[in-house]
Parts: sequence; C-alpha cells; structure tokens
Amino acid sequence: MNRHVLNLVLARLMIAVITLLIVSFTVFAATVLLPGDVVEVLLGQAATPEAVAGLRAAMHLDDPAIWRFIQWLGGIFTGDFGISYANNMPVADLIGPRLANSLKLAGITTLVSVPVALTLGITAAMWRGSWFDRSVTILSIGIVSVPEFMVATSAVLVFAVYLKWLPALSFANEIHTFGQLLRVYAMPVITLSFVISAQMIRMTRAAVIDTLNTPYVEMALLKGASRKRLVLKHALPNALGPIVNAVALSLSYLLGGVIIVETIFNYPGVAKLMVDAVSTRDLPLIQTCAMLFCIVYLFLITTADIIAILSNPRLR
Amino acid sequence: MTDKVTNWTGADDAMVENAIRRGATRRELLQLMLAGGVAASASGLILGRAGSAMAATPVKGGSLKAAGWSSSTADTLDPAKASLSTDYVRCCAFYNRLTYLDKTGVPQMELAESIDSKDAKVWIVKLRKGVTFHNGKTLSSADVVYSMNRHLDKATGSKVNSIAKQMTEIKAIDDLTVQITLANPNADLPTILAMHHFMIIADGTTDFTKANGTGAFTCEVFEPGARSVGLRNANYFKSGGAHLDSFEFFGIPDDSARVNALLSGDIQLAAAINPRSIRLVESQPGVVLSKTTSGNYTNLNMRLDMTPGDKAGFIEGVKHLLNREQIQKSALRGLAEVANDQPVSPASIYHNKDLKPKAFDPDKAKALFQKAGLIGQSIPVVASEAAGSSIDMAMILQQAGTEIGMKFDVQRVPSDGYWSNYWLKAPMHFGNINPRPTPDILFSLLYASDAPWNESQFKSPKFDSMLIEARGLLDIAKRKEIYNEMQVMIADQAGTAIPVYLSNVDAISAKLKGLEANPLGGMMGYSFAEYVWLEA
Amino acid sequence: MVRSFFSLRAAGYRFNLVGLIGFCLVAGWAIVALSAPLIIPYPIGEIVDYDYFGPISGQFWLGSDYLGRDILSRILMGARYTVGISLLAVMISCSVGVTLGMTAAVIGGWLDTLLSRFLDALNSIPSKLFGLVVVAGIGSSIPVLVCTLAVIYTPGAYRFARALSVNINTMDFVTVSRARGEGTFFLIRSEILPNIIGPVLADLGLRFVFIVLLLSGLSFLGLGVQPPNADWGALVRENIGGLPFGAPAVMFPSIAIASLTIGVNLLIDNLPQKIRDRSQ
Repeated sequence: MNRHVLNLVLARLMIAVITLLIVSFTVFAATVLLPGDVVEVLLGQAATPEAVAGLRAAMHLDDPAIWRFIQWLGGIFTGDFGISYANNMPVADLIGPRLANSLKLAGITTLVSVPVALTLGITAAMWRGSWFDRSVTILSIGIVSVPEFMVATSAVLVFAVYLKWLPALSFANEIHTFGQLLRVYAMPVITLSFVISAQMIRMTRAAVIDTLNTPYVEMALLKGASRKRLVLKHALPNALGPIVNAVALSLSYLLGGVIIVETIFNYPGVAKLMVDAVSTRDLPLIQTCAMLFCIVYLFLITTADIIAILSNPRLR
Repeated sequence: MTDKVTNWTGADDAMVENAIRRGATRRELLQLMLAGGVAASASGLILGRAGSAMAATPVKGGSLKAAGWSSSTADTLDPAKASLSTDYVRCCAFYNRLTYLDKTGVPQMELAESIDSKDAKVWIVKLRKGVTFHNGKTLSSADVVYSMNRHLDKATGSKVNSIAKQMTEIKAIDDLTVQITLANPNADLPTILAMHHFMIIADGTTDFTKANGTGAFTCEVFEPGARSVGLRNANYFKSGGAHLDSFEFFGIPDDSARVNALLSGDIQLAAAINPRSIRLVESQPGVVLSKTTSGNYTNLNMRLDMTPGDKAGFIEGVKHLLNREQIQKSALRGLAEVANDQPVSPASIYHNKDLKPKAFDPDKAKALFQKAGLIGQSIPVVASEAAGSSIDMAMILQQAGTEIGMKFDVQRVPSDGYWSNYWLKAPMHFGNINPRPTPDILFSLLYASDAPWNESQFKSPKFDSMLIEARGLLDIAKRKEIYNEMQVMIADQAGTAIPVYLSNVDAISAKLKGLEANPLGGMMGYSFAEYVWLEA
Repeated sequence: MVRSFFSLRAAGYRFNLVGLIGFCLVAGWAIVALSAPLIIPYPIGEIVDYDYFGPISGQFWLGSDYLGRDILSRILMGARYTVGISLLAVMISCSVGVTLGMTAAVIGGWLDTLLSRFLDALNSIPSKLFGLVVVAGIGSSIPVLVCTLAVIYTPGAYRFARALSVNINTMDFVTVSRARGEGTFFLIRSEILPNIIGPVLADLGLRFVFIVLLLSGLSFLGLGVQPPNADWGALVRENIGGLPFGAPAVMFPSIAIASLTIGVNLLIDNLPQKIRDRSQ
C-alpha cells in the first residue's frame, strides 16, 4: 500500500512539473496577448509613442517576449525569480512578506472553518430532513449567497464603526500578543469562513447521504448499527474521497481568491499582488504568482487524491 | 478651491463661527443652518471650514495614519515617474520642489530663493543656502541640473517629458545658481516647476528603493502597494519643520472601507470620499470634510475625424443633450460644478466666466441629430471605471437619448488598459484629465494641433498661433483676453464635451488640524503631511 | 418549467412542502424574468428621484438607487440576467464537467490523467487574467459571458464528479456490469450517474450560487451585462454605499439573490424521490 502511494506521489510530482510548465506558458501567452504592455501602463496618459519607445529600450523590453520568458524560466532554477518591471525590485522580495501574510490568513481560516464545516455537514446528514438539517442548508446557502464585499463591509460597520470592538483595518505588522492576533484576524477570518464553508458543508452532507444509500451501509443498518455508528464508522470513510476534494477546492480559494478581503481590510497579501501585476503587465511578477498559486493548488488536490485512495481499500 | 453652496453667504459663515464660539453643539448648528435653507448634505462642508478658521496653534508630535484611494506595485519614489495620488503624497513628504503653489494658486519659492527672467526665455534660479539631503549632502546646483535633465532622458520614463522638452539648456552658473533656457518664451515656468514631478533629487541618484530628499520627513518604510512610513526630519531647512513625529500612508481602493476606517478611528484622513458617503460622515461626531475643486474633469470625447463626430451638428447636439445639472446633482451629489465644455476651471484666474454652459435642450439636440441623419442609429459610447463617473454620465446621456429616439449603446470596458486601448482611440469615449496648473499646459497637451493627447483631433491653425502668442506674454490682462477667446473656440468647435468640474472631498478626523484647500488637488495638493498636526 | 412540473406530477412525482417552496421561488423568478419588460413601473435607466438611496414609498416600492433610479424596476429587469445567464452557465459547466468526470473515472488510464491535469491547469489560471484575455480577444457579449462562466466552473464540477465516480466504479455491481461486456456509455448512464446524482445535484446548486456572484465581478471587468442593465450582484455592488443607511437599494437585491439561490438549493435537496434516488 505504501509503495503504491509513493509511486503515485512520484508520478504526480513529475506531472506537476509538466503542469507548472504548461500553466506558466499559458499565463505568459495570455499576458502577451493582452493589449498594452508595462511601459504603456507605467506611462499611463503620458504614453506618447516616442516616450514609450525610449522607456522600452531603457528597460530592455525590446527583446522578443518569448526570449524574456525563457530567461525568466531559466532563472527560477537558480532560485532567481527575476526583477519586477514595475518597480525594479526583486520579485522574491515583493512576494516574500506578502506570502507569509497570506499563508497566515489562510492557515487560521482553515483551522477555524474546516472543523466547523465538516461537523455541520456530517450532523446535517445524520439527521437528514430534520429542522436542523434544513436550517443548516438555508443558513449556509443564505450566507454564501451574500456577496463577499457585503459581508466584509457589514462586519466592519457593526464591529468597528458602531461597536468599536475591532479595528476596521488589519495591520499584520502590529501583532505582539495573542489578544491582538484575535482582534486583527477576527473579521477577515469570519468573512472568508462564510465564503468557503458552504461548499464544504453541502458537499460533505451530500456525500455522506449518498453513501448511506449504498447496499453496504444498508446492510450495516439491517445488522442493527446505531445511526451515529452507521455514519461515523461506515458511511464517512466511504464518503471521504469527495469530501476531501470539496475541502481542497474550497481551500484553494484562500490564496489567490481573497482579493476582496485583502482590499477591504487593507491586508497586504499575494492576491492583491497578482491583481496589481496583471494590471501593470509585470511579466516576472505575474509568472511567479501564477506558479505559486498553481503549486499550492496542485499540493491541495494531490493531497486530496491521496487521502481518497487511502480511504477506499478498493482503490489502493 | 471654491466652496460654493447655494443660499450661503459670507454672513452665514460668520454666523456659524459665532455660534461655535458661543459653544453651540453640532446639532444646534445643523438646525441653524437648516432654518437658513441650506441642504443638510452641504452643511458638513461649512462646519469643516468654520472649524479650520478657528484653528489653534500647531501641536508638535503624534503619528498620523492616512489613506488614499489607490496603491499598487507600480508605486514609486521616483518623482519623475509619479503617477498616482499616493506617489505625490510620498514625493511631497520626502522631497522638495523649487517652487510650490499656495492656496490661491500663486507660485511661492521653496528650494529656490528666486526665479527671474527678463524675456521669459532665459531664467535664473537662485537656490537656498544650507539645505541638506537626508544623507547629509548639501543641496547644490548640480542636484537641480541632474533632476531637471532626467526628464529629458527617454530612459527615465518621465511623465512630464512633453512639458520638460521646452527646456533646451539647464546649466549650473555657480554652486547655488542654475540657468534654464527655454525653446520659446514661457512666462509660466515658476508655476510649471511647482508640479510634483519636478521634485529635486540628489545628483546621480539611480536607486529609488529609499528616498533621499530634502523633505520634511525621512523615508523609514517603503513597500510598494502596501505602505510608506515617514519620520520627522530634524534637520529640515524650514524653521520648525513638520509638526508630526511620523506618518503612515497607504491606499484603500474601496470607497466604503476607507470611510469606515476613518469612522472607526483606525486612520485620521480618508482622501477622496464618495459623495454618497457624506450623509454617513455627517451623522458621526468627530469627523470633518474638506472640499477642493481643482479642475479635474471627466469628459466625453467625440473624434472629429470619425463617424459620428464628423457629421455636422452631431457634436453640438450631444453638448445640448448632456444634462449637466442632472450629472452634477444625481451622479455627483453636488460635488461638482457645471462646466462649459472647456478645460480651464473656475479655480484658475484665466477661467472665462462669460462663456455659459450649453443648455440642456433635447428638442434642439433632436433637430441637430435629424439634420445629421443619425436619429435611430445605434451609436457606441465607451465608458469605464478608469474615467471616474463616466459610466453614470454615459447612462444619463443614454436615457436622455432614449427620450428623443437616439440610441446610445453604452459599452463598459475594463479600467485595466483603458488609457492605452480606448482613450483617444474610440470614436466616442470618455477621458479624465487631472488638474494642470496653467491654461498653457492644458491647451498644449490637449488642444494644439500637434498635442500628444488631442482627444477629439481638434485642429485649428488660429488656435495654435494664439497659444504661442499668449505663452510669451508677461502681461496678464492681455493673456487673459487671448485665453478667453481660446476657451470659446474649444467650447464651440472641439469634440470634447466637459459637463462638470469634479470636486474632491477628503474626510478627516476633527483632531487633525491645518489642512487647507490647494489648487493642485486634494489632501492640500498632496502635501498635507508637512503642514498638519494632531490635537491631543 | 411550469408545464413540465404538472406533467411530472401526473407521472407520480411529488414534491414535499419544502421542495414546493423552493420550486415556487425559482418558478416565480423565472416568470418575472420572462415578463420583466411588461411589469416594470419605470424605465430602468431613468432618474426618477432627486434623492438617492431613497426609502420605501408608495411611489418607489423598493426605494431608489445611488443615482435616484427605481430599484424595483432594476431588480425585475436584473432577473433576466441573473436567472437566465446563471442557469445556462451552470447547466453547461455541470453537464460538461460531470460527463467528463464520469468518463475519466470509468475509462481511467491515460485519458484520466490527461483530462485531470488539463483541467487542473485550467483551474490554475487566475480568473482575472482569463477574463481580461477573453474581453480582449473575443469581445464582450452575453454568449461569451455564459461560456466564460461555464469554463471557469467546469474544472471544479469535473473534479468532484470524478471523485464520486471513482468510488462507485470500484463497486461490485459496476465490476459485474463491466464483466457482462457493457460499453462505457452504458456504464456511465446506468451505473455511475444514478449513484452520484445526489451529490452532483448538490454541487450544481452551489455552483449556481458562485456563478450568480461571479457574474457581477465579470461585469466590472467589462465582460458581460452592459449599462443601463445590471444583474443583481452588480446592483448590490453599485449600491454598497447605502449599506450604512440600511438603504433598500442594497438590501433588496441581496434578498433577491438569497431567495433565488436558496430556492434552487431547496428544490434540489427535495426533488421527488424518483429523480433523486438511484432505485429505478
């Protein structure tokens, strides 16, 4: 069994490198296809043809784009992610502190939302059709259908503007105590949990209910297993595959998709960095961010696939 | 610049000030003003003004947090490349210019002691003695020559290259004297040098990861797209220096988030708030508003060399179909002044007051469109968030069109890439022009036949010759006469409809004092950090 | 939709009460979407109120928006975009994703690897970049918008359906069926699909919510509904400034979104047993 998993991981690693290359090239092609380049964006309204030509030459952007792409690609093997076009800083320096911020936010959100969501999903499935199940459904859909910016803005209005319990902005650099940590992260984490929990709750519930209907679980029911035992012991392990996939898909949102939360709480993370990079057509920065998101995504889904395989004896 | 509220006179200002002295509460003041027939939404502005007129003496110390509306990884400490409000704020705090504009728009000396010329062509700049950069170096003419020459080098990517081009020679006469020679006489040079891009940097500077200037603050932290922190410069050349110990500046692009951060006390200054937030800010104690109308505008451009702009009568029809009053009242909630289709705002002494805005007249517009044979055709209008309020303006035009059988097909396009892809290019599109200190700059950039941003492709040899004639005149009255006529030409002949001049409103904590309006823009022409203080 | 409901009923399919509520919500909005131009009280682009974020009144039943336009009219017209575009996009993305997911699970091997990695890669491309490239390359129109939304949400549907199908695929009855020599199409339609339909429908319901919300985001990239029209998400967004005042202009579009998405999900959860269950 272990060897099987090891082989799978190795195979996936190889494929991951290929996927990364493909994504990298696609992102490169997409950026090049977009009208306007970094020089035109930087000069903005001042982009007269001669000014553009002059700056482009000075920034060594006259080389064909594909050549610059290959140079960048070569650089990452030596650990050099290139220099940002927009502000001449090393990409690694720009991303470093922001990545740490993003990972912190994602980590805390995961710790909060995953246990809550799984518990709600499983219990809802256990008492399917009950008032509890229905209210979980209506609440989770109701909450996820409120646009993220509205959740965040409402939270700020209530807790920061009127009650003054929490700060409206999240300054990650001003955390020294655990109390400050709670104050700074409370609202961003709750907002994000609202957004990602619904998918986990709903999918967990659906997957567990589905396995409850299989002949194998029905057999256990006939044997007289209790409802709780039935769900936890028999249904859950079989439903684990779809559940971890739903969790992985939800969590993959936490790095690149949190732009609204980063903007409203003025929390400097990588999502805003990527959006900026696209707006300024900053190729090395776009590429590195895209790679980063891709690696995290691949890591999440590969973990999900491995858990799915391990949980189902027939797949091993 | 101007604080126009209908039904409000200087006498009313005095009344409010008196009431404040008597210790009237805010609620009483509001009642007072409502009784006087002033709209509640405007009253905050008056309170703010009356409050600042009573300003006490500056207090030293404290640290300020302020938020602008934009910030990205393209943030820069290079004054030549500065493009967003955040860049200007940083530049003003860390560097100095040769001159700056006071609140009436008149150039005053900063790093220069004097700037003189006999013929408006050859200018002598004398520098202040004993000014030091943050790294200890003393300011000399070499720094000024270096700073100016950078704008002429294409590799710098200077935003003001097209303006700087008229300086044909910049040379040091002695250690503290610089001679600037222009291609043609230009009496406006001292005003031009007050633009934010002409900040003075140390000779030979190429690294802009930290700022080495002469400014009131030293650069402690600079994280592009995140934040900047400045510490009080103890060796500042102006007596007393800055009042604040430190200030932190960052961008919060979301309108509501910026206001909420101010209301919750996280920041003390929220720049450029949405007109619709005024009602909210009004209801909160401890917050005041500061309004500036500096000549920023969003305009509708119809290219004269493309259909439908080339059809006689079409442009005039659109100018009559733009409901300026509705744009001012509904789209901008009064934070705008109705404009007369030309770029020189009432903040400028050269503004032509006799040139009246074209009246909203759908019947006349309909007749003109019929004559042009365009009734019933679908005409695309490109609008974008990039040009502030343009989508609202487009929709107001669209609705007015529907009522007379004209179909305007509003196309909302991404703000991403708007300036390079749609602006100046689409037959009918919106633009947004930042304030420029002189009519000469506005006309040369936007309306001369060879103007780099001739938005409607307006070409008139007569206009071009008038422009050059006025530029060399040191006689202000004569210049004004010529500029007045040029404004009429633009309003009647160019394909640019300018419905309103936009106002900027900054919301600040009542504890923040010393903020004044400035013709270069909001936040005291972006230079607030040096002048404001925090009351305990 | 209404006709099919009655014919279903005749065939012995019955909703429970909650399902019926869900159905009524969805059908109600569908009727509104179809008849919107006939029932709106004011033209959606016209500024009818000089005040902004106006309160509920006899003249403006749901108040006025940030420009002073009638919000009821805007919500009614917005139903066309939110209901129509989202339903279409979710149908496309889920049918494509689920079909591919089941196929990959049943056939396995290289096809599975190829499809999975391709869709993983697709999912890794930042959506803003994707949206901008589409606008720049193809331009903006409603069909383009629907396709873009469908493409963005296909990989997720695929991944979830595949995870479910892989589990079913190992079951004895599938092995038996395969041993009988049944073709891939039969396996997918008769063995896999009936056994995963519950979670797949739940996934569809949720994806619908995401699409409704993303719609307004894409409109702001310039890809999608053009002014003066607006989908509900865009209505919330453009009136968000009214939130501190509790303006009806921001509350009612949000309620409209919630009622539609909750309706769709209640309907899915409480579909008649015959559709939902694998027993057939």
